Amino acid sequence: MNPHETALEVQGLTRTYGTDGAAVVALAGIDLTFARSTFTAVMGPSGSGKSTFLSCAAGLDRPTSGRVLVGGEDVTDWDEDRRTRLRRERIGFVFQGFHLMPYLSASQNVGLPTRLAGKRPDRKRVGALLERVGLADRAHHLPDSLSGGQQQRVAIARALVTQPDVLLADEPTGALDSATARQILALLRDCVDNLGQTVVMVTHDPVAASYADEVVYLVDGRVAGRMVHPTADAVAAQMTHLDDLVVAS
Amino acid sequence: MTGSITGLAWRSLRRRPAAATATFLAVLLGTVLIGSFATLTETSFATSGDDAGTLVIFGAVVGGWGAAIVLFSVASTVGITATQRASEIGLIRTIGATPRQARRLINREVAAIAVVAAAFGGGIALVTGRLLFSVIRSGGLVSDSVEYDGGPASVGVAALVVLVVSAIASRVAARRATSGPAGVLARSGASERGRMRWWRVAIGLALVGYGIAMAVITVTVTAHDDDPYAAMSTSGSSSILVGVGLAVLAPVLLRWCAAPFRLLTGRGASGHLASYNTARRAHLLSGVLAPVIVLTAAAIGTLMLVSIDTRTLPEGTPDSDTINLLNNVVVGMISLFAAIMVINAFVAVIAHRRAELERLHRLGATPGQVGSSVVAEAAIVAAVGVVLGALASTASFVPFAIARDEGVVPDGALWLPPTIAVAVVALTLASARFAVRPTVRGLARPMAAGGVR
Repeated sequence: MNPHETALEVQGLTRTYGTDGAAVVALAGIDLTFARSTFTAVMGPSGSGKSTFLSCAAGLDRPTSGRVLVGGEDVTDWDEDRRTRLRRERIGFVFQGFHLMPYLSASQNVGLPTRLAGKRPDRKRVGALLERVGLADRAHHLPDSLSGGQQQRVAIARALVTQPDVLLADEPTGALDSATARQILALLRDCVDNLGQTVVMVTHDPVAASYADEVVYLVDGRVAGRMVHPTADAVAAQMTHLDDLVVAS
Repeated sequence: MTGSITGLAWRSLRRRPAAATATFLAVLLGTVLIGSFATLTETSFATSGDDAGTLVIFGAVVGGWGAAIVLFSVASTVGITATQRASEIGLIRTIGATPRQARRLINREVAAIAVVAAAFGGGIALVTGRLLFSVIRSGGLVSDSVEYDGGPASVGVAALVVLVVSAIASRVAARRATSGPAGVLARSGASERGRMRWWRVAIGLALVGYGIAMAVITVTVTAHDDDPYAAMSTSGSSSILVGVGLAVLAPVLLRWCAAPFRLLTGRGASGHLASYNTARRAHLLSGVLAPVIVLTAAAIGTLMLVSIDTRTLPEGTPDSDTINLLNNVVVGMISLFAAIMVINAFVAVIAHRRAELERLHRLGATPGQVGSSVVAEAAIVAAVGVVLGALASTASFVPFAIARDEGVVPDGALWLPPTIAVAVVALTLASARFAVRPTVRGLARPMAAGGVR
């Protein structure tokens, strides 16, 4: 793991889709810093730029302007191959739809990023991660014989396998019932507290956000506010008054 | 209600030209093939004696095989495109379409494509039928006095047959696509890995058994017949029968056979992914494996037969030319269709897996790795298919070689099987590369709008 203090940083990030006439501004200049071993929730209404922010941070999408720094290293101008390696080795991804390969067993899915890097997965490490997420006895099951919560646990273990600089989660509990969702959130919390991981999670669920150390609100592609040590009630209250936030900032 | 489903079918077709193209091509080529040979049969009605007999044989034999192949290819193409839309069908059922309406949507779409394709195919068949006839006459297979007399009647019947076949195929596919409960999420697991039905296993085994029985009859009975072509009439179709039988069993065979090939694909990430995908989702790639087996079996089996025949009967009999031309035409036809189906099936499989391949890329596979994992899958399928196809081909040429006193191994043309094998492997790999290229190109570009999903 990179010893740099900042896991992820974006400076003046903008992203515009389309051409001049019908341009849609998804991100209108965002500056955010995510310190190592922190859990941040990024919230905002639909179209606020949450997903675009995550895509740009992960190197899936190229920002129109601004910089992206992963572990203190500027990756903005890297070509597709380097950015692919970046995703593989230094960024862990957790998606709403789990995104497991349907034909690989749980342990093979966890080892996949290592395989793609051309190395043999370390059996012990894969086993330890599966144990950590509570699936030691499911290592050889295929995804379709696992429940949604179990699949998301496998996905989290996969995201952790390369000890990434930052773990990006896009609505990780969006497809789960509330009890399972709480288990997944507790697991993400555990990754931060006990493994020293950095988690950036996009969500619009106030309960999910309450597991984070801090909530960042995005509105119309801008940072509209922050909340430290959020509670579900406070977040929900804030979400209903986002317009005030924009005026305030 | 009916009108609105037709409208929906029409709009869906306009948005989905790629899937429609596959069905269109299968129906078009099917009509051209069967139609051209049907004109020969019609011409025979205006002729008499040996000429009429020759023309009827051409029309009936080739037309018969053609119909079987068209049935197979149209059914598989329509089936693949319907399965591909499982989640969409689930969606329209969730918002209130009855299974009946969903089936009607699929059937209307297929019908619309098939009618247009059959009409075009019929038009082409009128020209190719005339060409075919002039080839046969200039080859001296019928006397010069015979005049071409094919026309809209025979071509019309051929087009009708193809339309009926595609209607049946689409009904079967539609029924399967709507058999489960309604739901938006395509259950990628259970439905995809579905076991083979007992009747499918029975049909496969029956075809293989029938082919082997014909081979045994060739060695024990027809080999001793006075007519040198009696042995060919019993052994000629054995390779195709066994090949089609194995093709019917393709999902199971691929699951079994992919395991040994795991060692060959090496330790790289692409090979790793490919070997597990072929074994655990054999049902997907079996659509590619089936035509590869049939192509290899038919080509090796029949061409070896022709070479044994010309070697052991250098003078020939009055029937030799006709018989061998027939053999070559059948092989050519089967090969053409099988080749198209390999490409078709790959395009459909890749379209089906597009989201999954994009996912792989997001997890850190380079576009090159995504592409090469698909090509590695093609290599496994090709290798399994060529081995099984070659095995099936022995059902034809081994008994025939024994019948013509060449022994178990024919005396010549031993270069044929490896040459055909190499050609089939090359075709399969090229189809995979062709099918996956647009996806790989798309991945190589930074993502457009759409986010991380």
